[in-house]
Amino acid sequence: MSFARLTSRAERGRLIDKLAQIDGVFCLALILIAGAGALMMFSIAGSSWEPWASNHITRFGVAFVLMVVLAVIDLRVWAAIAYPLYAVSLILLIAVELVGDVRLGAQRWLDLGPLGSFQPSEIMKLGLVLALGRFYHGLSAERARLSWQLLIPAAMIGAPTLLVAHQPDLGTAVLLALTGLTVVILAGLSWKVIFAGAGLVLAALPPFFFFVLHDYQRQRILTFIDPESDPSGSGYHILQSKIALGSGGLLGKGYGLGSQSQLNFLPEKQTDFIFATLAEEFGFLGCAAILLLYAAVIFMALRTASLAHSHFGRLTAAGVTSTFALYVLINGAMVMGMAPVVGVPMPLLSYGGSVMLTVMIGFGLVQSVRVHRYSEVTASKSSLI
Amino acid sequence: MTQPSIILSDVNARQSVFHRRAFLLGGGIAAGIAALGGRLGYLQLVENARYAKLSTSNQFNFRLVPPPRGLITDRNGAILATNRPNFRLLYARQKDQDPETVISTLAAYLPMDEARQQRILKDLGNAPRNTPVAIMEDITWEQFSAVNIRGTELPGVTADMGEVRVYPHGGAFAHVIGYVAKVNKEDITETGPNAEPIMLHPGFRIGRQGLEKALDLELRGRPGAQKVEVDARGRQVRLAPGGDVPATPGKEVQLSLDMDLQLRGLELFGEESGAAVLMDCRSGDILAMVSAPSFDANRFVRGLSGAEYKALAEYDHKPLFNKALTATYPPGSTFKTLVAVAALEAGISADMTINCPGHWYFGGRRWRCDGVHGPTNMHDAIASSCDTYFYTISLRLGPDRIADTARRFGLGQAFDIGIPGQKKGLIPDTAYKRRAFPRDPVWHPGETPSFGIGQGYTLVTALQQCVAAARMANGRKALVPRLIRSVGGVPRPDASAAPDLDFDPAHLALVREAMGSVTTRGTAARTGQIGLGDVRMSGKTGTAQGYNYNGGRGVHGTAGPWHLRDHAWFTGFAPHDTPRYAIAVLVEHGGFGAQAAAPRARDLMRLALLKDPELRSRIERPPAPPVAVADSRGPVEGGPA
Repeated sequence: MSFARLTSRAERGRLIDKLAQIDGVFCLALILIAGAGALMMFSIAGSSWEPWASNHITRFGVAFVLMVVLAVIDLRVWAAIAYPLYAVSLILLIAVELVGDVRLGAQRWLDLGPLGSFQPSEIMKLGLVLALGRFYHGLSAERARLSWQLLIPAAMIGAPTLLVAHQPDLGTAVLLALTGLTVVILAGLSWKVIFAGAGLVLAALPPFFFFVLHDYQRQRILTFIDPESDPSGSGYHILQSKIALGSGGLLGKGYGLGSQSQLNFLPEKQTDFIFATLAEEFGFLGCAAILLLYAAVIFMALRTASLAHSHFGRLTAAGVTSTFALYVLINGAMVMGMAPVVGVPMPLLSYGGSVMLTVMIGFGLVQSVRVHRYSEVTASKSSLI
Repeated sequence: MTQPSIILSDVNARQSVFHRRAFLLGGGIAAGIAALGGRLGYLQLVENARYAKLSTSNQFNFRLVPPPRGLITDRNGAILATNRPNFRLLYARQKDQDPETVISTLAAYLPMDEARQQRILKDLGNAPRNTPVAIMEDITWEQFSAVNIRGTELPGVTADMGEVRVYPHGGAFAHVIGYVAKVNKEDITETGPNAEPIMLHPGFRIGRQGLEKALDLELRGRPGAQKVEVDARGRQVRLAPGGDVPATPGKEVQLSLDMDLQLRGLELFGEESGAAVLMDCRSGDILAMVSAPSFDANRFVRGLSGAEYKALAEYDHKPLFNKALTATYPPGSTFKTLVAVAALEAGISADMTINCPGHWYFGGRRWRCDGVHGPTNMHDAIASSCDTYFYTISLRLGPDRIADTARRFGLGQAFDIGIPGQKKGLIPDTAYKRRAFPRDPVWHPGETPSFGIGQGYTLVTALQQCVAAARMANGRKALVPRLIRSVGGVPRPDASAAPDLDFDPAHLALVREAMGSVTTRGTAARTGQIGLGDVRMSGKTGTAQGYNYNGGRGVHGTAGPWHLRDHAWFTGFAPHDTPRYAIAVLVEHGGFGAQAAAPRARDLMRLALLKDPELRSRIERPPAPPVAVADSRGPVEGGPA
């Protein structure tokens, strides 16, 4: 018992030390972004906490606590669960393929009975980053550059990407593939391979577009190229979003006065297009402030990755950060009419539980990397735990 | 040694590769965010004006407001067609909503039977998407508020205040003015004024008959617009202050008709069917143009029920038919006045006498005359309507000369008075016979006597008959009738531009003289006297056969079934010495002209004369005793007072 008490006291001291290591400025930036999201949700609900704003705040609060809890978990624990988590995610993705719910024409959701339903592809975003980090942790620079062993990460990325694309959820599939590739490149993949691969992808795009994509996916891309061709049909979203943005001007129409969102011209105004809502009511200055906050979050996270002593920590933190950055860039480009509508939300700003949870768990990992930046993770199995 | 051993230099190698590439990644992300910022700046700062405009056009809609339709007044400014406000219920179909449920919910608060509900659903089916349909017009305030309170139960139902066309005098002007009605699918054209979006407005009405149809574009006006804030589904959120465009009312139309004469004219027909036209024989203005029986045009504005329309359409007195313009009849003996002019112009002396033994033989046939007139000159032949005389002289004249004279009096042609659908009638001649009867293209002499007494192929309208009487009375001008005095304050041309009537005035005077005797000692001596002292009416009676008696079907006079009886005519003018007004009265299947038509002409003419200030002073001039209200007097017996 005394041993336990001693341990407990020592643990308590370590815990406080660890909590103090969490990046306060980083947390503040997250709170500001989520707060801006709640502010917009309050506005578009007609100055009401219901149905979105209060939910959003509660979710963020829970997710924030979760992030802090995850931040103190030892990096070695993360490394230990990397492969199992990836394996479980992959099994769940296969399960979705077999028994998943079909919602809105896509098979993405797995019904867990009393626990509700969720999208396994969300866990996979973290599982993939962790597993790749774990893999490269044990690989020399030479081999990471170019060797037959690189077939393993290729398979690790390819399997979930194809499964998710088949659901079909093209946005998440692209996100998974890009995140995985970022980790592979950060780990030191030969430039020759990178350029050759990029060339191959470009060559493969046209046949992919014409033979693999579903009709509605093809339509989205076509509308993106010429949104004004069908302003009341599929081009509607892009056009209305651009109108909301453009009509905002420098200072915006004023809080609660965005006609595009208040009168429902803007589709998905509380989720995928919340940035357009913000742009309409707060104008260029408001948007620039939010973009700067996102940039700050991304660069603080990248810095955390750079400062880590362990290769696992570096790669996982950078992988999570690139996922986050991809969210921001894809959603931003979509809202501004520079990318097709793919259903990727603006992280933390948009309403929606699962992406918020994924992002905050990811940041829990990033903070864990920061807290444990001086600790080494050995490559041997015995040293894990 | 089973684990890969990573020596220190290799660790550093991995780290430095990561740092280089993380730096690139950061740069890439920074570039991406900068690109977003740049795009944002372009959209929000450079293109701001363009998108602000698009946003405004999203936010605000202009709802069309139908213009008030132009007024129609009589010659004195009395209103014949106007607009009054009405409350109506509109329904616009909503997404994911069953119209049947809404309508049946509505039926709980409003009187709507099953048939009416079905009709509304049919209208909804026919209406273009997003166009509201009028469910009910003219609802009461109680009904209006009952529906308003339950607004949430009845999505898509809105109450609206609009204007509805109203004809204050009901039937009297129905044939002239016509009516407006709901716009049909067939009314909407690809281009032109009938392609305008206001055509789809549930409160808009289109001119369907008469002047409302002929002057539709003038009466319509220009729609206004109301600025409303709408949401993405097009539902009105609130009225936007300012920015409304007022509607331009339609042009006001003034008619030459006199309201009192028109009302009296319809009244005079009672249960009878027929037409009466009264014209100013100096200006050509039509003061009354009546067709009887009539119908209430107001019923058509709201939409007539099937049964109601059927009753009107199937009644054998044909109330929907304008008998003054679109029905043709043989002129009967009224035609003799024109034959007499033709004879004088052809050099036949008015003093020549023809013996009338009560019948006449020609072509192996015995031709009947109404009486035994003995030796008859032209004057007496007109006064007593002697058939024998006109059989004889028409045979001498031949058909072409008679036809030419009749046409110069205005028969056989349509007049541009602004009402569509006029009939031209028929004045036959040898050319017509050649054209119309290829198997028997020759005009047989045996056809001329019938023509000479206004029978045979001859067909005329009441308006033509009145024009002929007016030209006879005027004597100098080939008057043309005018029904529309002005449109939007711009006068329509009157008779001053009419060409000269190319007859010897002395010949016309002779015939007018004889027409004077018709009402003093001739066929209408008992029924054609207006009883206004020395102001007398001249005229000519006519009893036109609708059917050939020889077939054993038609019956002379008022005996036999109504639809086989003769048509009664009276055409004339007054005062006899200085003609001011011309009149033509037709009583369909009315029997004898002197019995059915002349008294009606007399009563209408008397009112016209009494309403004329110039003539009134002549009538009231001492020592002649002032004439009491003419209507109280019965038919006058005997000669002039």
